[in-house]
Amino acid sequence: MDDLIKLSDEAVVEIIRRKDKNIFSEIIRRYQEKLQRYASYLLSDDYLGADATQEGFIKAYINLNSFDVKKKFSSWIYRIVHNEAMNLINKNKGNFLLNPEIDYDSGVDLEDELIKRELISKTHKCLNYMPILYKEPLSLFYLDEKSYEEISDILRIPVNTVGTRISRAKGIMKKLCEKHTK
Amino acid sequence: MRKTHKINTTDIEKKVMEKVTTNQITMKPRWYFVLGSTLMIAGLASFAVLATFLTNLTIFLLKKHGPNGQWRLQQIIESFPMWVPILAIVGIVIGIWMLKKYDFSYKKNFWLIVLAFITSILLTAFFLDYTGLDNIWMKQGPMKHMYQFNDEEVYRRGSGRGYGRMMMQNR
Repeated sequence: MDDLIKLSDEAVVEIIRRKDKNIFSEIIRRYQEKLQRYASYLLSDDYLGADATQEGFIKAYINLNSFDVKKKFSSWIYRIVHNEAMNLINKNKGNFLLNPEIDYDSGVDLEDELIKRELISKTHKCLNYMPILYKEPLSLFYLDEKSYEEISDILRIPVNTVGTRISRAKGIMKKLCEKHTK
Repeated sequence: MRKTHKINTTDIEKKVMEKVTTNQITMKPRWYFVLGSTLMIAGLASFAVLATFLTNLTIFLLKKHGPNGQWRLQQIIESFPMWVPILAIVGIVIGIWMLKKYDFSYKKNFWLIVLAFITSILLTAFFLDYTGLDNIWMKQGPMKHMYQFNDEEVYRRGSGRGYGRMMMQNR
């Protein structure tokens, strides 16, 4: 088991495909939290996020033989869960609110808990109005610390577009906060 | 944004692994994906070839009875087999849709890929016309009947004008 932890995702996938399907649990362990957080953020709902993640893992397992081990596994599995989340968004159009429990760091270290809470509450309001188009790269860049190249692979958009969307998202965020937290 | 957001935990690992171990879900075999890729490539090539031939056929028919020919535009519109350019456009659209499925497509400017695809089809069609290959195909080869049939159809539907002359030419 210790050896398994040291292996890369791609190597683990090779073992699952060739020798032992039960090793798929290692993949789930590695990605469950990250993927669930990403899906929950996109869907603004923890339960829907969990559904998208579970469906994503099932689809990943079924289609594991289509994965090219020369490529990055994380981008591949993020893409699957992303698609699942988008399917759910399309099914529940116009029904998206941000989960009020999600916590965002303002980037400012605030001593006063009250001010901090108020700031978080205001940030939630702003994010409620953030279009999904900008939510996607923003969450991958800040929450999951993905590179522009990886975000490009996950969202299937050119690297330049990733940069543009993240930059615009910051501007939109600022405007939204000014408009909705007065 | 902080990464400390607590997620309502549901035991995804347990649920998924239960499906895996009890064979409720199974991996699709490798050949399934190889076959899929092969069919995709074959499909793309077929639609590209189909679109090229139909575009060439459109040029061929337009050239024979075009505005500089013996018919007027009104008659061309009335008698032209519209299914040929329509099917050519359908072939191009399906080809583009298939191109979009490929991994490389999102890394490049997709509109540039579309433009290159359409340009290559048009250029090949014009090249076939320029080299006179379509004229050869009208007389021999597997495309003979298709070119001849459509050419005759244009004559026949064009109020009979030129049809007699064509019959004379074919003798």
